[in-house]
Amino acid sequence: MADASELSGGEESQEELMTPAELIAKLEEAWLNEKFSPELLENKSELVECVMEQITHMEENLQRVKKGDVKASVHRMEIDRIRFVLSSYLRSRLQKIEKFFPHVLEKEKSRADGDPSFLSPEEFAFAKEYLANTEVYLRNVALKHMPPNLQSIDMLKAVPEPCLDSFVFLRVKERQENILVEPETDEQREYVVDLDEGSQHLMRYRTIAPLVASGAVQLI
Amino acid sequence: MDPAEVEFLAEKEMVKIIPNFSLDKIYLIGGDLGPFNPGLPVEVPVWLALNLKQRQKCRIVPPEWMDTDKLEDIREQERKLDTFTPIPSLYYMELTKLLLNHAADNIPKADEIRTLVKDIWDTRVAKLRLSADSFISQQEAHAQLDNLTLMEINTTRSFLLDSLNYMYKLRSNLQPGRSQDY
Amino acid sequence: MFCEKSVELIRELHRMGDGQLPAFNEDGIRQVLEEMKALYEQNQTDVNEAKTEGKSELIPSIKFRHSCLLRNQRCIAAYLYDRLLRIRALRWEYGSVLPTTIRFHMCAEEMEWFNQYKKSLATYMRSIGGEEGLDITQDMKPPKSLYIEVRCLKDHGEFEIDDGTVILLKKNSQHFLPRWKCEQLIRQGVLEHVIS
Repeated sequence: MADASELSGGEESQEELMTPAELIAKLEEAWLNEKFSPELLENKSELVECVMEQITHMEENLQRVKKGDVKASVHRMEIDRIRFVLSSYLRSRLQKIEKFFPHVLEKEKSRADGDPSFLSPEEFAFAKEYLANTEVYLRNVALKHMPPNLQSIDMLKAVPEPCLDSFVFLRVKERQENILVEPETDEQREYVVDLDEGSQHLMRYRTIAPLVASGAVQLI
Repeated sequence: MDPAEVEFLAEKEMVKIIPNFSLDKIYLIGGDLGPFNPGLPVEVPVWLALNLKQRQKCRIVPPEWMDTDKLEDIREQERKLDTFTPIPSLYYMELTKLLLNHAADNIPKADEIRTLVKDIWDTRVAKLRLSADSFISQQEAHAQLDNLTLMEINTTRSFLLDSLNYMYKLRSNLQPGRSQDY
Repeated sequence: MFCEKSVELIRELHRMGDGQLPAFNEDGIRQVLEEMKALYEQNQTDVNEAKTEGKSELIPSIKFRHSCLLRNQRCIAAYLYDRLLRIRALRWEYGSVLPTTIRFHMCAEEMEWFNQYKKSLATYMRSIGGEEGLDITQDMKPPKSLYIEVRCLKDHGEFEIDDGTVILLKKNSQHFLPRWKCEQLIRQGVLEHVIS
């Protein structure tokens, strides 16, 4: 089993040497990004696994501590906090998978070999079952009783896509130059902005989506 | 975002406490805390400070900015300027609420502080409403929002973002060549 | 007027507001399906006539009926799908056992969908983080303090807390319990948070 120091698999090399504290910070970043981004972001299975291991390990240690110990209660409070972030993070992902399931699966299907997967293997299995379950349901309850040319529904058309043109709030972690801002109306012109480190902005998600993926900006 | 979640993030901020007990270092996943010695100040996250306070195991030292003179200056600045003044803590509102609700006896002039922070908050949120209003009416595509706190953003988030998204939908429905829906 | 029945189905859900599940409108669905059958058969006849006898004046009404068919299909799908979303939300609110009053409002196919959804969700949650598993239907709210005071609103029987202790949840009894263990029971109305 991997521990924090073995976190790898396409991640940057500095992340291979993450301390548990950095691991938790990464989880919190991923949580907020996932909460505020309109689309499903790349999965962070390794991060999830490492955090789970930290929690499990700590819980095992706590089993041996006698009840009422002050230290143990502090550890428990910390575990509660971490488990909340972890659950909330995974919930946000699952909600988006359910909301956009045909699109999420389509994206996974058209992914080139070697490109990172947006879904973890478990999420992928879940999404496939969700699609099949929903299709079976619609067919059995209504579609099969409809005229022959209307017995199927194109799920990709029927279920709304994530709106990448949504506005988001963000904080800049690494300075960026010449970010193109597209005009909102015909009378306006496009222009570029520089995003200084530490500055905060409101703009369309589509413009800065690659910066969320690379970790250069944090959604807030 | 649920305001309780913003408060949750605020509880990660460090605050000084004066414990009345002894305890070795605690090796938490998120970092080490302590050691704790009676009468010796030590920094802990707010969530722990509040818990220890609830169990009467410590006294909380209010953050430096939680002081009537300093807050009066900030209030004046905030009222004078049209922009958002830099604030000493990104979680000033939540920390004030948490510390005053659970440790008011450790904070000198607690009531005055509550009023000052409320004034600062009201002034800032009013400015935020104005700028959100102009952002929408000018149909802007980008705004810089330095010094705004997460809780402040949160007060306008869903209203502002939903409005912008609806406007976008209305505009793009006006574009010719969209497929016909039944 | 065509499609009135199917739009009525949508209105019915809309009137109920978020989160509420009205009784499955089997009769409404059947009426829409009958209308679709009639529209389709009429179109078959007209298409044949238009082809064999070259009656091009029939084409507009064929197109009109086809639009009605598509709209009916769309409305039924929307009705059914929106109900699924409500049922899904109930799984998160009540846990894996739904109250009888709600089950009474679901059709057999919805029950099947719900059972399959429960299974998929359980499989997913068991697989989180390797072999450990994590119940993400818990911890819905940020933790506030370690323990909270709760009062039991009905007899619930034995209940095991993390350290292995078993307590008896008897009506009107009060307990000091870890918050994360009682969240769901609070939502189910078994416990109530006593705010001192």
